[in-house]
Amino acid sequence: MSLLAVSGLTKRYRRGGGTVAAVDGVAFAIEPGETLALAGPSGSGKSTIARLVLRLTEPDAGTIQFEGADFRSLGGSALRARRARLQMVFQDPLAAFNPRATVARVLDDPLRIHGIASRTERPRRIAALLERVGLGADLAPRAIHEISGGQRQRVAIARAIATKPSLIVLDEAVSALDVSVRGRILDLLLDLQATERIAYLFISHDLGVVRAVAHRLVILDAGRVAESGDARAVIGNPQSAIGRALVAAAPRLNRTTAP
Amino acid sequence: MSRLHRFLRSPEAIAGTAILALLFAMALTAPLLFPGDPQAIAGPALLPPFQDWSLPLGTDRLGRDVLAELFHGARTSLAVGLSAAGAALLIGAVVGTLAGFAGGLIDEVLMRITDAFQTVPGFLLALAFVSIVGPSLGVVVAAIALGAWTGPARVARAEVLSIRERDYVAGARVIGMHPLEIAFREVLPNALPPVLALSSVIVAAAILTEAALSFLGLGDPNRVTWGAMIAEGRAVLRTTPFLSIIPGIALVLTVLGVYLAGEGVVETTAVRRSLS
Ligand SMILES: Nc1ncnc2c1ncn2[C@@H]1O[C@H](COP(=O)(O)OP(=O)(O)OP(=O)(O)O)[C@@H](O)[C@H]1O
Ligand SMILES: [Mg+2]
Repeated sequence: MSLLAVSGLTKRYRRGGGTVAAVDGVAFAIEPGETLALAGPSGSGKSTIARLVLRLTEPDAGTIQFEGADFRSLGGSALRARRARLQMVFQDPLAAFNPRATVARVLDDPLRIHGIASRTERPRRIAALLERVGLGADLAPRAIHEISGGQRQRVAIARAIATKPSLIVLDEAVSALDVSVRGRILDLLLDLQATERIAYLFISHDLGVVRAVAHRLVILDAGRVAESGDARAVIGNPQSAIGRALVAAAPRLNRTTAP
Repeated sequence: MSRLHRFLRSPEAIAGTAILALLFAMALTAPLLFPGDPQAIAGPALLPPFQDWSLPLGTDRLGRDVLAELFHGARTSLAVGLSAAGAALLIGAVVGTLAGFAGGLIDEVLMRITDAFQTVPGFLLALAFVSIVGPSLGVVVAAIALGAWTGPARVARAEVLSIRERDYVAGARVIGMHPLEIAFREVLPNALPPVLALSSVIVAAAILTEAALSFLGLGDPNRVTWGAMIAEGRAVLRTTPFLSIIPGIALVLTVLGVYLAGEGVVETTAVRRSLS
């Protein structure tokens, strides 16, 4: 059975007089340990899908099956408990943390909330998490705004894996980073996937990055699925107009396909 | 350090801080300099100021030491002003955070209650409350806070409404944090600065309200207050105006000092924020 299966996912927003469907009948599935990429032009509904899947926004219609259960029917403490298995990494790691937080507190929260480690045990777990994402344990007492963007995104990943999730949603999680930092973060994500069998819903407008990390790809256009399939196959031979436009607009792809 | 520097470069802020420092010194030293009951008779009645150096500001109608009353009155003014303002800010911050963060029906209900409180002038509310419950220090503090929490509630709600859309709040939900913990631990502390910026105005208003209640005889009868002193002096206003003028000046200076120092703090922190 799929790890995550959504179907008929729909979200409308009021605009002007009428309503606009930001997400319109979207369906896709993610298998355990797999990376599914969502690509599409700006405003095509990628971030909205991320928020719907995470139950940060309520859909107008559609089903979300996660780990074999109806994720939409969960509420209150049952939903909060299940959230341990479904995590997220945001695009801007500075905006994604409380401006007053320290690295230690950011990692302590999920461990405390889900009862993963006792109070005395948590500092050791935090150090281990930092180590797992390639950071030193000496970073723990630092304030979030005192560390670099790349370090911050590693902390965000450490926070996401703290509760041993089966799926992490990454909304443009590497887009704000320098090219060199981006490569190393992608390597970390691939390494985590290989060792912990974490699945990713990988949202990106950069098809070069998508081709490097994704197994399958869904291309969105105006809230609908334009095409989907094996990531390399879709990028190598896009069938939809929007797919061809995205491939044509990706500079790194052009360079590698040219002789 | 640079914040302190900027603060010290503003003459208004320095004046305000100096007045406040003097006030605190008076309040703290009152039981040392004037031990015993300040309402006890200390000399002949209606002694004018600067006549007798053991009673520098003279005595009132009953022969009580005006300077001792002034010092002990500073205690009441500060205690009531600060605790009423603290209570108002606390209530306002909690109500505003709950309304802004919960939204929907809870927001609707809490804001209607806020509207209701706001339409009644704070002083009338305090007057009614003290008349019903009876005058004591705690009741006076509660009465003043009751009329002063709506401003902080509105400011807190507006701030929370903008903060709750930020990614870090979504991040807190994603890790399964309880909504109340998100509201009070993640959102409220970041919504506080503009709420605290109201504190100088609220403290000043609270001190004035306390004086007005005391003037009307609704203060704590066991405590010396400047409002009660002014009321006392009113009976002999034509012959010995100093009995009303001295506590009146103290009151004006206090309110001015609180306001100036508060504005100085707000100004320096606002500059800091617009620079960063
Ligand atoms: N809270 C909201 N209220 C109203 N409209 C919204 C809201 N959130 C998103 N939308 C609209 O829904 C559409 C999809 O937005 P979304 O953020 O999902 O796009 P996106 O694919 O993530 O774009 P980008 O690549 O720029 O991040 C847009 O037209 C957007 O204006
Ligand atoms: Mg987006």
